[in-house]
Amino acid sequence: MNMKFTSGLAAFGLILAACGGAAPAQPKGSIKLNGSGATFPQPLYEDWAFGYSQVDPVAAINYSGGGSGQGKKDILAGTVDYAGSDAALSDDEAKQKPLVQLPMVAGAVVVIYNLADVTDALFLDGKTIGDIYAGKIEKWNDAAIAALNPGLKLPDVTINVAHRSDGSGTTSIFTTYLCAASETWKTAVNPCKGTTVDWPADKLKRGQGGSGNQGVAAAVQKTAGAIGYVELAYAKNNKIPYAQMVNPAGKKIDATIASTTAATTGAKFSDRNAADIVNSASADAWPIAGFTYIILNKDYTDCAKATKLVSWLSWNLTDAAATDRASKLLYAPLGKDTQTLSLNALKTVTCNGQPVLK
Amino acid sequence: MTPAKKQTTFERVFAHGDLLYRILLVASAVALIALIAGVGIMLWQASGAARASAGAGFITGERWNPSGGVFGALPFIAGTLLTSLIAVLIAVPFGLAIAIFLAELCPPALRRPIGTMIELLAAVPSVVYGLWGIFVFIPNFVKPIGNFLMNTFGAALPVFGGPFFGPSIFAAGVILAVMIIPTITSISRDVFLAIPSAQREASFGLGATQSETILRVLVPYGLSGILGAVILGLGRALGETMAVTMTIGNVSQMPSSILNAGYTMSSVIANEWGEASSPVYSSALLEIGLLLFVVSLLLNLFARALVWSVSRRNPEQRS
Repeated sequence: MNMKFTSGLAAFGLILAACGGAAPAQPKGSIKLNGSGATFPQPLYEDWAFGYSQVDPVAAINYSGGGSGQGKKDILAGTVDYAGSDAALSDDEAKQKPLVQLPMVAGAVVVIYNLADVTDALFLDGKTIGDIYAGKIEKWNDAAIAALNPGLKLPDVTINVAHRSDGSGTTSIFTTYLCAASETWKTAVNPCKGTTVDWPADKLKRGQGGSGNQGVAAAVQKTAGAIGYVELAYAKNNKIPYAQMVNPAGKKIDATIASTTAATTGAKFSDRNAADIVNSASADAWPIAGFTYIILNKDYTDCAKATKLVSWLSWNLTDAAATDRASKLLYAPLGKDTQTLSLNALKTVTCNGQPVLK
Repeated sequence: MTPAKKQTTFERVFAHGDLLYRILLVASAVALIALIAGVGIMLWQASGAARASAGAGFITGERWNPSGGVFGALPFIAGTLLTSLIAVLIAVPFGLAIAIFLAELCPPALRRPIGTMIELLAAVPSVVYGLWGIFVFIPNFVKPIGNFLMNTFGAALPVFGGPFFGPSIFAAGVILAVMIIPTITSISRDVFLAIPSAQREASFGLGATQSETILRVLVPYGLSGILGAVILGLGRALGETMAVTMTIGNVSQMPSSILNAGYTMSSVIANEWGEASSPVYSSALLEIGLLLFVVSLLLNLFARALVWSVSRRNPEQRS
C-alpha cells in the first residue's frame, strides 16, 4: 500500500516537473543523467555529481570517460544526455545535430623533465619548447635553454621527447600552444595541432609515446634527459618537477589555478562558444591552458531530465561549493566573462521547444 | 570404425533422446564460426572509408598522421611482426628447455611445484607485466643489454643501431617472450610426457645417451605438438596489447633497429580509439584491426599446414 502511495506521488512529481514546477518528494536518484567523454575533467565531473547529489538527491549523475571523441560520438548518436570534450565540435559534427557547447572549466598543461642534477627551477618559453619538440634543439646545454636559465648548470645530455600515445585533449592543448608560440613547430608539423600529431622527434628516433598522463610521466621519469607534458594536477599530485614558463608578456610565471583562470579572461569565442586560450597576452596568465567543454542537445524531450541537467551545470558554474571542489582538484574555475557566456549558453537549452532555464 | 558400428552409435544416441543435446552442441560450434565470420565482415565493412581514402598505401605507407588525413600502417605491421618474432626466438629455446627439464630430468617431487609456478606466470595480467617492464625490467635488464648491443654491434649492424632510450621493440619483444614462455612450456611438457616410454627405452637400448635420446628421438617425435605450442604462443604475442604498449615507446615511425621505439597494431588501436574524432580516422583504426585479424588468420593457417606436414612425416603419431 505504502509502495503504491510512493509511486503515485512520484508520478505526480513527474507531472509537476514536466510542467516546470518544483518536484516534491521524488525518490532519491530517480532521474538518471548519463554522460561520457573526455577523461581530463572526469575526476571533477564525478566530484561535482557527488556534490550535487547532496544538494538534490533526486538526480543520479554519471560520467564515463572514454575520450573526447567517444563523448562526441555518444551525444551525436543520442546514447548519452551530455558529453564532455576537450576538443571543440568541428563544423561537420555541429552540422549533424543541433547541439549546445559551453566551456565548463579550464585546465593547465605543464612541461615535466628528468634532469637529476638540476634542482633549481628550470625556465622555458614557447620558442624553446617548440624547438625542442620540433627536434631543432637536441641537447639540454643548448644556448637557447641556457639563455633562459642563467646560472643553471645544464648537462650535455640528449633530450628525449615524450608525448601522449593515445589521442588526447592534453595533446590538443599542448600542440595548440606550440602552434601559437613557435614558428619552428608551425612550419615543421602539418597540421600543427590536434589530439594526435605527426611528432617530428619520432622521425629523428628521439621520441617516445606513453599512454595517459601516467604513461608520459613514467616515460620521463625512467629516461634521463627526457621532457614531456602532463596536466598540472597530475604533476602536482605526484610531485613531478615541471618547468616554469616565461609567458608572452615576458613575465616568469608558475602554473597555478589563479594563473590558469587569468588565461581565460579576454578569450575570443567562436559562435559555438569555443576559444583557444593558449599564449595569452595577459601578464598573469599561464600560457599552456585550455577549456574543457560540455556538449548538450539543443532540445530535450524529457523535461525532468533536462531541468536536472541544466540545474546541475549551472550549479557547477556558480555555486561556491562547486568552485571550491574544482580548485581542490586543481581545475581552474572560469573567469567572470566566460562564466557569463556559459550561463547564457545554458539558457538556450530547450525542452520540447520551451526554455529549460527561465 | 566400420560404417555399421557408426550407425549403431548414432541410433543409440537418438534412442536415448539426446537429439536436443546434439543440436545444442552443433549450434555452439556453428555460432562460433558465425562469430568469427561476423567479426571479419564487420571489420571489412567498417573500414570501407579508410580503404577508399588510403587504398594500398595503407599497407605500404610509412606515415601515420591522422589529423592530416595520412594513414600508413606499415610501422605498426612491422612493430607487431618484429616484437612477435623476437618473442618467439627467445621463448622457444627457453620454453623447450624448461619443458624438457620438467618432463625428462626433473625429480618427480619438484615437477608439480615448478609446473604450477610456470602456469602461474601465464595467469599474471598483462598490465602487470607492463608495469614490471617499465619499473624493473627495462631499467635493470633491457637498458644494460641494449646499451651493450648498441655500443658493440651498433656501428656494424644497423639492426642494433641507436638511438636507444629503454622502451623499444627489443624491450617489448623480451617482455612478450616472458609472457609466452608458460604457454610454450606447459604444452610442450605435456607433449613430452605423452610420448610412450617405449621410445625412450628403445633409444637407450640402442646405446644412445640421454641428450641424444631427447634431441634425436623425443623432439622429432613430439615435433607437431611442440609446433602447436609455439603457434599458441605466437598467437598471444601477436595480439598482446597492454604490456607491449607500455614498453615499446609508441612511436609511429618505421624502425631501423630493434633498439628503436616502435608501435604495434593492437597498441595503436587501443591508444587512439577514444579520441578518433573523424569517421575516416575511426575507419582507419578498424582497418588496422582487419589487418591484424588477417595476419593472425594467415599465420594460423600457415602453422596448421606446418603441423600437418610434420605429422605426415611421422605417421605413427597421427592416431
